[in-house]
Amino acid sequence: MLHISNLHASVEGKEILRGLTLEIGPGEVHAIMGPNGSGKSTLASVLAGKEDYEITDGEVLFHGKNLLDMDPEVRAGEGLFLAFQYPVEIPGVSMVNFLRTSVNSVREYRGQDVLSAGDFLKLMNEKKKIVELDANLTKRSVNEGFSGGEKKRNEIFQMAMLEPSLCILDETDSGLDIDALRIVSEAVNKLRSPERSFLVITHYQRLLEHIVPDFVHVLYQGRIVTTGGKELALELEAKGYDWIKEGAI
Amino acid sequence: MTTTQQTVRESFIGRFKPVAANGKSLGTEARNQALSALDTLEIPGRKWEAWKYTDLRELSQREYSLATASENIDIQPFLIPGMESDLLVFVNGIFVPALSHTGKNEGRLSITPLHDLKGEDAALFESHFAQLADPQSDIFTALNTAYASGGVFICVRKGQEALAPVHLLFLTDASAKASLSQSRNLFVVEEGANATLIESSRSIGENTSLRNAVTEIFVGENATLEYVKLQADTHQASLIDRTEVYQSQSSRCFTYTITLGGELVRNSLIFKLDGQHVESHLLGAWLLDGLQHTDNYTQVHHMQPNGFSNELYKGIMDEKSTGVFNGRIHVYRDAQKTNAYQSNRNILLSDTANIFTKPQLEIYADDVKCSHGATTGRMDESALFYLRARGIPEQAARLMLVRAFAGEVIEGIQNEALRGYLSEMIEKRFE
Ligand SMILES: Nc1ncnc2c1ncn2[C@@H]1O[C@H](COP(=O)(O)OP(=O)(O)O)[C@@H](O)[C@H]1O
Ligand SMILES: [Mg+2]
Repeated sequence: MLHISNLHASVEGKEILRGLTLEIGPGEVHAIMGPNGSGKSTLASVLAGKEDYEITDGEVLFHGKNLLDMDPEVRAGEGLFLAFQYPVEIPGVSMVNFLRTSVNSVREYRGQDVLSAGDFLKLMNEKKKIVELDANLTKRSVNEGFSGGEKKRNEIFQMAMLEPSLCILDETDSGLDIDALRIVSEAVNKLRSPERSFLVITHYQRLLEHIVPDFVHVLYQGRIVTTGGKELALELEAKGYDWIKEGAI
Repeated sequence: MTTTQQTVRESFIGRFKPVAANGKSLGTEARNQALSALDTLEIPGRKWEAWKYTDLRELSQREYSLATASENIDIQPFLIPGMESDLLVFVNGIFVPALSHTGKNEGRLSITPLHDLKGEDAALFESHFAQLADPQSDIFTALNTAYASGGVFICVRKGQEALAPVHLLFLTDASAKASLSQSRNLFVVEEGANATLIESSRSIGENTSLRNAVTEIFVGENATLEYVKLQADTHQASLIDRTEVYQSQSSRCFTYTITLGGELVRNSLIFKLDGQHVESHLLGAWLLDGLQHTDNYTQVHHMQPNGFSNELYKGIMDEKSTGVFNGRIHVYRDAQKTNAYQSNRNILLSDTANIFTKPQLEIYADDVKCSHGATTGRMDESALFYLRARGIPEQAARLMLVRAFAGEVIEGIQNEALRGYLSEMIEKRFE
């Protein structure tokens, strides 16, 4: 469903992704690990369509279509979802208004009927339970005054609302306490299905104990330098990244 | 003055004269002062501190004719859906009873066209008229005091709460020819009374127009006034507005100035807090494009102790438009324990839009809390990306952010239908 081949991306003239190749099949869970600054968030942003990055080479196909040609909103409509590492606060835009516009835009893109106010509220209440989100949070402005953990849960909540086929989670686990981590990973597990794939970016193996990946990749200096099964995460946890860095040089 | 300036000045003043014949018995003294002041007052230009960023000389040289009122106008597009109100319609500055309806506030407030004033209301009018807007202070106030003829006097009676807002619709009809008009109103909110007044400035027709408005407002002891100005004229219509508010002890006043239309709009809003424990809220937003120019000039005079004022103006400017915020807080020597806040925040949507902002504090008391500040920036790109990444098309996402930014200004408006209407007007502004 997602083919990334030889992807090169730069920001302000500095090359961050330097020939990245990755293939994700339907229903698969891929984890990407790697030291800080290796380009994990850049990969997530490039896939979601952030304009700050210049793609200098390579190709990305999503369900067989050229992803890099699409506007961010089109990518969302096509089924791509990014749970942000740092969700943005948007004062003055209410969660409800934001979500309703978002869900209906995506539905419209997919040729589905726009939800009535009642159906939308029903859907919202149902999905809110999955992440145990405080009912009051949806009355506020988007992410405004949310704690770190609430912001992350809000991302997964939106993911559940939009029913994507590819979910990219950028360090959704960082800043979460043990309970929140459990809630978030259980929510993700509930959303797993044979058609829905995951790209889970994380620093820590502890998330991968809950969300068990099919593949673990190590990203270093803009390239995938090692790929393995879920045991690779354990190895990284024990040995750190130094052996990878040495091997890469 | 050079000879050219002299000629421009005289021909500009001359355009207003034809209505002077209209016999008026009230406000004679102020009118005479205004008339003699007109011998020397100049058209303001950039060398004037208060008009530093807005030059009216070009506007004054255009051809206008003093327009007349018409009853054959469809006002439906300018009404506020779902809002029960007393409606006063003015066409080219003249009150048109046939298009208006009152009666929602019977016994609680009086609405009287100036030429119908008599008895106690006439006396009340005389004792308040031209007491705030000094007829000799500038040429527009002088012209207004001397020649404006079609306004109303509204008095919210002592201790009364208005049951419905009063909506004053100032409609400029420039469909046949360029229109020049004036509005002059006086509002007295008596002790302990409570009311909402709305002024809409709207226009029809493609010709150029200029409306010169002066409004004086007295908010009595313990009274509350909510006063909303919606300025949504066409891009050919200009507006020079001066509004003065005088507040007595423990009164509260909330003003909202929302500018969406107009070629050139100048708002002078002057507050005098002349009593203890007065609360004043000055809120404003402007959303401009094309060559629009909006200048919000405000003065807040804290004359007595324990006053509170909060001023928030937000501007969004696109294309080649220009926004001006020129606001002054003046804390008098006796006004100890004053809390005064002022903030102006702006978003420029294009490289060719302009903002001039000049917040000023003048403090002569020592035990006060005051702050002021101004910011100017671009639309928040990370917020825009966040919305788009959630499937919201770019244009819709931008409108959401515009409304969110400006929407803060109108959050406090009590009447839900009115707040919803303004919110929609703001959201649709850049559609
Ligand atoms: N918008 C940007 N402007 C400048 N540098 C950036 C930008 N985004 C990322 N970078 C740089 O790219 C490198 C990779 O960053 P990032 O993708 O965030 O790494 P990771 O998520 O793996 O920690 C870092 O050196 C970072 O400073
Ligand atoms: Mg990162």
